[in-house]
Amino acid sequence: MIQLTNINKTFGNNIAVNSMNMTLEPGKVMGLIGQNGAGKTTTFRMILNFITPTSGKITWDNHPITQSDKQKIGFLPEERGLYQKLTIEEQILYFAELHGMSRSDAKTALTDWLKRLDVVGKATDKVQSLSKGNAQKIQMIASLIFNPEFIILDEPFSGLDPVNTSIMMNEIIRMRDNGAMIIFSSHDMNNVTKISDNLTMLKQGKIVLQGGVQEIREKFGRTKIYVEGPFSTSELSNIAGITNIKQQGAGFDITIANESVGHHIFDYVTRNGYIPAFSQQPPTLDDIFRQEVAYHE
Amino acid sequence: MNKSLIIVIKQTYRSHFKTRGFWLLVLSPLIFAVILGAIGFGISQMQGNTTPKVAIIGNSQVRQIFKRDEKSLEIDVSKITDSKQANKSLASQDLDGILTIDNDNATLTTQPKSNSINKEAIVSVLGNLSRSQKAADYGLTAEQTQNLIKPFNLKSVVKQSNNESTNGDSSDMANYGIAVAIGIVTTMIVMWYASMIATEIANEKSSRIMETLLAATSASIQYFGKMIGIFALAVTHMAIYVVAGVIGYIVLQNNKLFSNVIQMFSGITLGFTLYAISFILVAVALYLILTAMIASLVNDNAQVQQAVQPITFLAMIGYMFSFIMTNMPNNLAIKVLSYVPFISQSMMPVRLVTKVETWPAAIISLLIAVVAMISLAWMGQSIYAKNVLSYSDDKIMSQLIKNIKNKN
Repeated sequence: MIQLTNINKTFGNNIAVNSMNMTLEPGKVMGLIGQNGAGKTTTFRMILNFITPTSGKITWDNHPITQSDKQKIGFLPEERGLYQKLTIEEQILYFAELHGMSRSDAKTALTDWLKRLDVVGKATDKVQSLSKGNAQKIQMIASLIFNPEFIILDEPFSGLDPVNTSIMMNEIIRMRDNGAMIIFSSHDMNNVTKISDNLTMLKQGKIVLQGGVQEIREKFGRTKIYVEGPFSTSELSNIAGITNIKQQGAGFDITIANESVGHHIFDYVTRNGYIPAFSQQPPTLDDIFRQEVAYHE
Repeated sequence: MNKSLIIVIKQTYRSHFKTRGFWLLVLSPLIFAVILGAIGFGISQMQGNTTPKVAIIGNSQVRQIFKRDEKSLEIDVSKITDSKQANKSLASQDLDGILTIDNDNATLTTQPKSNSINKEAIVSVLGNLSRSQKAADYGLTAEQTQNLIKPFNLKSVVKQSNNESTNGDSSDMANYGIAVAIGIVTTMIVMWYASMIATEIANEKSSRIMETLLAATSASIQYFGKMIGIFALAVTHMAIYVVAGVIGYIVLQNNKLFSNVIQMFSGITLGFTLYAISFILVAVALYLILTAMIASLVNDNAQVQQAVQPITFLAMIGYMFSFIMTNMPNNLAIKVLSYVPFISQSMMPVRLVTKVETWPAAIISLLIAVVAMISLAWMGQSIYAKNVLSYSDDKIMSQLIKNIKNKN
């Protein structure tokens, strides 16, 4: 278990991370969200001991993270970097060896990884010949091939198309199911919702939201309604308690002031019987993120 | 040794050893030497016989003496003894010269395309003959005559502090050769490998590979691993030249020019050779450490030259001083610089071999360089760790000064 206790980090007068507490557990994925400059990368850098916290404690199973612990950490940095002149194999074997994996084991595992991640090219191809997406997959393999116990992924999906994003997400889920502790940052709330068990939202270095993804969404109440039927926007706007209404394809996205308004809307739209769709959901992470950013500004 | 350190050393070594650039660096001087040798050999072959053919006219006795001493006079005495026929042969370029002897006077006639004739040797022989003739006329005995014409012998000897004497002329040549060799070897290695390590670090830093590397290992492992890897590469480079040298020696041992070069270095002992090599290796390590330290302050590859330039200048200073020193070995500044790390490798070995300094002084100078190397490596390690993941817009040198100040 990784524990961050009351972590603070300042650069001169600038507070990068403010009183951060966080727990990462084996077999769980933590999504770290926040605007640019919120302190996500600084947090990763402190965990990896690239920079020292101004105050606070970071521990792995109750002891400070040592050099030998670092060998069990898989890290995918935000700005990707590979040795352009080396082949895929040379590159991966070097990183695997640095993490304590034998060359022969790494060589065997590489074949599987290349297949699973659908990398176009051979292990003997030079990295400089790869497309951006394939290079990103190689970087992902370099970070994960040695089956790390703790995985830190800084913006793992940035620059990937939906197909490759889905491939990467499957790998993260696979590693989680194998018992790894995973923390990742992303600006894509859809992806965060899909793979995170827990969530921490940062605003100017401070945690503004933390907990299970569903738990956080529920906390905001089921204030999002989607309805389809023979109605007009002006007709629905007359119902009391609706704060926002927007036509979305064949239906309407409605935001309500509180959960109970949902009953009035349901009664109204079903007064003549059957309607094709009605759902009342908590707000999406995207909505919550926007709302929280606006609230703390 | 730490396992991660070995992995970084191996990777650094392997990734450069396999490149075309490394082999180009290693082979280009060898190819250049082979081409130069081949050109020299070709020219000498094309030249054919260059011994000048000279006809001696006028005095058969002198002609016989010249015929006897042909080899030492470096001439080929022609069978022609008739002036008219000789002039005809000279005009048709069958002869290189006609030496016409008339009592106390002689005339050497050549044509524009004649091979070069050693006039000093001819004058010397003719002078001796003239003096012998006059001595006989004065009634001196053969022994008295020999004494009279015997040249004055000036021998050049260097008196050493331990009362041993060496041949001045050959030792001057050897010392000059050593000064040039050590200076060139150190400067070239520094220029090649300082640039290599700086590019390696700048590349890892600018492409952000460094973050991935430091997630697995510590900054000190990366720092020492890279330096040892590149140092091993430099040693391999030198070892290839040693092997090439041994092969060259076996092939060329009967070559006259090569024997002269070997003769020039014959006074150098195994002890001195080991000392000079140790000094070169320590100096190369010193420069690599300094380069790695400065390269950690670089933001991208474009700044590599800016970082490496002062280091190569520093190496050049030692090289320049090694030349000045051969002319003024007792200059106080030169004496002091012989103990200053980064420069001493170009000064002290030469001072030792010229016997200006003793072995204890030489050992002290080497030890100072070793201590400087260890201290710099230690200091460099923390500067590297502090800067390898930070990117500053300040000038490299001002960053370095700031880092050193903060450290103290």
